[in-house]
Amino acid sequence: MAGIGFELRKLLDRQSLWGLVKAYAYAGVISSGPWVLSIVGVMGIGLLSVGRVAAGEVRQFLVTITYLMAASLIATGGLQLMFARFIADCVYRREEQRVLPNLLGALTVTGLGASALAVPLMFVLAGPLTVRLLTVVALVVLSASWIAVVLLSSLRDYRAVVTSFLVGYLISVACALLLRPLGLVGLLAGFLVGQVVLLIAMVGLVAGRFPSGTLVAFEFLDRKRAYLSLAATGLLYNLGIWIDKLIFWFTPSTSEVVLGPLRASIIYDIPIFLAYLSIVPGMAVFLVRVETAFAEEYEGFFAAVRDGETLADIRRRHDRLTIAVGNGISDIFKVQGTTVLVLLLAGPRLLKAVGISGLYLQLFSVDVAGVAMQVLMLAVFNVLFYLDQRRATLALSATFCGLNAVLTVATQHAGPPFYGYGFAISTAITSLVGLLVASRKLDRLEADTFMRVG
Amino acid sequence: MTRLPRLGRGESADIGLLLEGTYPYVSGGVSAWVHEIITGFPDLTFGICFLGATPDMYGDIKYRLPDNVVHVEVHHLMAGVGPTRPRRGRAREVAQPLAALAALHEAMRSGATPGPAVVDGLAALDGDAGLSLHEFLHDDRSFLQLCAEYDAHHEEESFLDFFWTLRTMHLPLFKLAAIGRDLPRFGALHAVSTGYAGALGALVRRRTGVPFVLTEHGIYTKERTIDLAHASWIKDAPAVAGRRALGGLRRLWIQFFEALGRMAYAAADPIVSLYEGNRARQIADGAAAGRTRVVPNGIDLDRFAAVRRDDRQGPPPVVGLIGRVVPIKDIKTFIRAMREVVGAIPEAQAWIVGPEDEDRRYADECRALARTLGLDGGALRFLGFRRAEEVLPELGVAVLTSISEALPLFVLEAFAAGVPVVASDVGCCRELIEGRGALAGDSPGTAGAITGIASPAETARAVVQLLQDPDAWRRARRAAAARVHALYGRARMLAAYREIYDGALEETHGGNRLRAS
Repeated sequence: MAGIGFELRKLLDRQSLWGLVKAYAYAGVISSGPWVLSIVGVMGIGLLSVGRVAAGEVRQFLVTITYLMAASLIATGGLQLMFARFIADCVYRREEQRVLPNLLGALTVTGLGASALAVPLMFVLAGPLTVRLLTVVALVVLSASWIAVVLLSSLRDYRAVVTSFLVGYLISVACALLLRPLGLVGLLAGFLVGQVVLLIAMVGLVAGRFPSGTLVAFEFLDRKRAYLSLAATGLLYNLGIWIDKLIFWFTPSTSEVVLGPLRASIIYDIPIFLAYLSIVPGMAVFLVRVETAFAEEYEGFFAAVRDGETLADIRRRHDRLTIAVGNGISDIFKVQGTTVLVLLLAGPRLLKAVGISGLYLQLFSVDVAGVAMQVLMLAVFNVLFYLDQRRATLALSATFCGLNAVLTVATQHAGPPFYGYGFAISTAITSLVGLLVASRKLDRLEADTFMRVG
Repeated sequence: MTRLPRLGRGESADIGLLLEGTYPYVSGGVSAWVHEIITGFPDLTFGICFLGATPDMYGDIKYRLPDNVVHVEVHHLMAGVGPTRPRRGRAREVAQPLAALAALHEAMRSGATPGPAVVDGLAALDGDAGLSLHEFLHDDRSFLQLCAEYDAHHEEESFLDFFWTLRTMHLPLFKLAAIGRDLPRFGALHAVSTGYAGALGALVRRRTGVPFVLTEHGIYTKERTIDLAHASWIKDAPAVAGRRALGGLRRLWIQFFEALGRMAYAAADPIVSLYEGNRARQIADGAAAGRTRVVPNGIDLDRFAAVRRDDRQGPPPVVGLIGRVVPIKDIKTFIRAMREVVGAIPEAQAWIVGPEDEDRRYADECRALARTLGLDGGALRFLGFRRAEEVLPELGVAVLTSISEALPLFVLEAFAAGVPVVASDVGCCRELIEGRGALAGDSPGTAGAITGIASPAETARAVVQLLQDPDAWRRARRAAAARVHALYGRARMLAAYREIYDGALEETHGGNRLRAS
């Protein structure tokens, strides 16, 4: 597979404005596709059910899915990152025959883990048995899906991810509409069918592309190949992304019961999920910059080292790498910054257009800024992962998670005008610190490259 | 594996032999000589510090250790090191310890003798006060110094190769310093080469003041230069590129060994060589003339005189080369020469007598060459290792085709057994065969013939001449025996070393007495 960088490069190299637009549009679709598709898909099921299904049950469906997303992402966060690194190492060592058996191994581990979580959940959750059963099965399927997504993304096959998501969510929406008459059970069952198809499609793609003689392998858990610090980083990062929501959901004054133990915070949830749709431009820039310029310069630097170039050449390569990082970060800043400005100005009309109360405007504006910072944070983390700064990323994700928790609680005490600032400030601080760490690490790239060996 | 004797804590021995890649793990001329020295002084106790490259290069010891060897320690300088840890406590100032390495490189470039401060710095490596291995491998300042060194003198080389060259070059120094600190107490140290062994002697001499004797059979730096020029593991600009005669990294290695050599010369007294030519070379390489002296190898004359054959029948048509089958002995030239000898004297036989396990590939090439030349049908035989006194009586002429030698024992033994020698013009072969030089004595004539290096035709001519002219052959035999008896007897050599050892031990014990009073 030629890789996404190659496709983008092809579009960019036409040196026309149209090529540029196409490249960024393409990058936007494949970088944020899954995220946008899942939000739009789930919202779509909700919207299309209004009037046909009891309003309470639609709400219960939306909240259940949100919890499933949060729980599956947090629960697999550790394995996702560890597995991504394992796959990247496999590809680097040209051991592609290890990909499929280890994917099946990771899916087994995920399935068993999620099932173990599902059993007690059956007793904790409320509602009819069928609803509870569908919910825990969906938890297992979603968790497995994230592992498959991580694998395809590690292989730079974003196109397969987006296509699978498109097919999967179309089926989810169609089946949910078909089963609408059954109420909450029908919506959940329909959603689940699409997700199962999505999972099978992704695993099938991998199986077709990397046939292997072995069925299942657990090498990704091998102590010699696995990085436990990455597992901790992945868990803390994902927990950090959700912790402000969790806090709002489980604070009685900012939330209400939706379905048994599942609570939701209308005031907090709607603005932030809307704001998340604004990441598309930033993610597009991120993908283009990281997957083309940065990845190429990074490869170039290490090729210069490996191939025995002179120190002057290595330093030149180092300078170009530093410039590529700087350009990438500043482009994300500019593009996402512009997006934020546009949304701040258009905010009132936008909310009105989608029929959301103007009361949310304040929080929506803060969240748009926070989400922009999250894109920056993602870019910084990626640069640090490239530089193999495992300790720094662990400290950063812990900082992020802790800050988000502490500041969110603080804003709750400060009152509604401050809601959302916890998330925005913690992503901003983490991005800034991460940027400083990345810049320091980049400065001493040669020393670290040579003196960290042996 | 043989159990090796080991001195306990607080115990000591008279002479500490510092041996690099020789006795007791590798057989050959130098090892045979060391064995001779140890057995020649049964009243002295010896300790052996063997410095090898990597453990896989050596099997079990090749000699039965005499009873007066009371200590053997084995170190492998090129073996990898495990992960290092930072020293506990606060970050230390590493500028001072690093300066010693910088000064070493300065001395390598300028040709100066590394001064006392450098030797102190090297002796302290990986110790409490010196640069730790962890600091050398991982500290930023160590990297900066390496970059500065590169920028100033090697900016055209591959940085990766330069980096690993410097690591490979310096790692053994850390090991040497530690070996030096842990070495048992000896009355005197005796290194039998410069290089790492000589450097170890210099470090310990500097630290403890123990007398340090240096004997060089060949000239270490010269041999290293030959090795390094051909070494495929150094990846610098190939010599043929025309930019310089020798790639920068190879030059760096040679400068390194030259600097270690100067360090050993500065610390050693006396500095012994085997013949005048090498003494001159040592002086040119930085040895103080006043401390140099020549002690030629000596052999057990009686052992070989006893097997000397009756010469009335004329020369047996057997031509032999005794030596390890390695490139430096240029066995291939011998094989080519023998092709011509067999052409002239069809009944002639050629024997190659020596172990083939040191360089298997070269040995295989030699056998292949013999086959190609049609010599495999019994005219040329590889006999493997044999005792010289078994083989020599069977030979009509002994041949030495080496491209580098010092004072080859094989020639002395052949002489003592009454076998004329055709030798390439290396080391002191000319002195031995033609009787020139300071040790010529009352020259009894020519004991064979001298040929050019890698000249099979010349070698063949000289051999055929001796084999076909019984009178010339008998004259050469007599000259050989007379010269070896006059100058190269074992007793003569041992007497010289008795004097050297006595002097060194006297210095130690005299010093102790002074300190005691």
